[in-house]
Amino acid sequence: MSLIIDVQQVSKRYGDKTALNKVNFSLEQGAPVALVGPNGAGKTTLFSLLCGYIQPSSGRISILGHGPGDSALFGRLSALPQDAQLDPRFSIATQLNFYARLQGMNNKLAKKDTVRVLEMVGLADSADSRPNELSHGMRKRAAIAQAFLGSPDIVMLDEATAGLDPANAKEIRALVAEHASTVNFILSSHDLSELERLCEQVLYLDQGQLQQHQTLSNDNSVQFLTLRMKQHHPELMPAILQIPGVSQVNMSQDREYLLSICKEQAQGKIAIDLLMLLQKYNWSYTQLINGKTLENQLF
Amino acid sequence: MVRLFKTKRGLLALLAFGTIWFIILYYFVGSASAIVTSPSSESMVTEIFRALGLSALLEWPVAEYAIYWLVAVYFFPSFALLVCSEQFCADKHRGTLRFITLRTTRVELLLGRYLGQLLIMGILILMTSLATTVLAVVRDVTLISASLQIGAKLAIALLIVVMPFIALMSLLNTLVSSARLALVAATLIFTLGPLFLAFINYQFGHSLYLNLLLPGEQISRILSQNSPMVSYYLLPLIQTGVLLLVSHLVLKRAAL
Repeated sequence: MSLIIDVQQVSKRYGDKTALNKVNFSLEQGAPVALVGPNGAGKTTLFSLLCGYIQPSSGRISILGHGPGDSALFGRLSALPQDAQLDPRFSIATQLNFYARLQGMNNKLAKKDTVRVLEMVGLADSADSRPNELSHGMRKRAAIAQAFLGSPDIVMLDEATAGLDPANAKEIRALVAEHASTVNFILSSHDLSELERLCEQVLYLDQGQLQQHQTLSNDNSVQFLTLRMKQHHPELMPAILQIPGVSQVNMSQDREYLLSICKEQAQGKIAIDLLMLLQKYNWSYTQLINGKTLENQLF
Repeated sequence: MVRLFKTKRGLLALLAFGTIWFIILYYFVGSASAIVTSPSSESMVTEIFRALGLSALLEWPVAEYAIYWLVAVYFFPSFALLVCSEQFCADKHRGTLRFITLRTTRVELLLGRYLGQLLIMGILILMTSLATTVLAVVRDVTLISASLQIGAKLAIALLIVVMPFIALMSLLNTLVSSARLALVAATLIFTLGPLFLAFINYQFGHSLYLNLLLPGEQISRILSQNSPMVSYYLLPLIQTGVLLLVSHLVLKRAAL
């Protein structure tokens, strides 16, 4: 595994306000990484620092062995910056073609790659449209398309699916999953279930500080089962506690239960016992999750 | 180039430019020869040019270029401020620069946009200069060689004159978020700037040569075309270099 991003003691201050405070983390090549945190936590600031849009007040950032904004990263690091818009005066194909040529492609290759990325995000028919002729979601997809031009090593997507309809959001998630084996993604989103599905590592920022840096599939999380029910049943929790190996049951939120499991017990058997219990009492469930949800891990 | 020739705003600017220059060429430059050589107005024109220190211009073999030079040396710097007011400030405001700076360095962006604007101004200057040559040749075909020679010399001189004006707009683009604000700032620089510099000179009791900071400071001196060639080139070139360097330093640290 090689190091792709190394952030050491990075702080960013805007006047008296500290947006990021001595953030440290290293990311290795591999599965997508989620960047999570409440509004104003510093996610976009961290994205902007990594892309070289702003300079850190202190600390050091290394991306693929280079400083942010270094010309060695052109074509290797791409991003969907939050709120950045394409030029309304030119068609999206013209602009993507221009970006591809800036990345070093010749005109023929740039045109071919523009068609490829626009097809990827389902905008092949709108290639000649100008951004202001497109809906918000389509503009977003065009901006996502530019991040896939060429063959980048790292793609950072800031709120990629925010504002997209469910079908298109699903398409974008599929796109990320499809390329996850060849591209290192860093995703920021408020949709935790989306990040849970796509990412294996999570960076949790809060008030400018990195609170957690963990792997979702670590050993601790397999000691839990999360059960989501269709309806509330008062007898459910005592009944679950009767299953051998279940040490504790908590209601993590409405109709959602978190089962703590003794380490020595086989989790698969407990899951089967649980499903049989539900069938016996004719209680309908919606979801059974192996481990804690990302939401329950973080909050 | 694409922005000038393929966008509505660019085409409108070109249309305005074409209309203004049609009027200038047709009514002033085209009739220059008649005005300068006509017995009824010759003495008056000579007196006016002498009073302005421009009598050297009357000795040019192609009279059209005397009028062309007088108009163009003031027109093109003003037009450069207008046309070059939008280099990258709107891109910066809209966030488009975030896409671009992942693919190019900020200094390449600055110089690329600057050189693009310079190329546009160069083409426009060349077109007007050639049109003047055409007018002169229509009057007297033997003037073709002299016209082309003077036309080329003046086109280069004009291009150098506009260079610091474009560079000033590059600097303003790094500081403001719209072309309109850049134009307002440029207007304030050229109206309040000289007053401010005069006030500073007055306070210190002697000239600090701060007026050399203002683009176009040399225009009144080069107007007569009597000054040595170096004064055409040196000051605007130094001003351009300084303005672009400051623009680079500002843009390098700017948050995009």
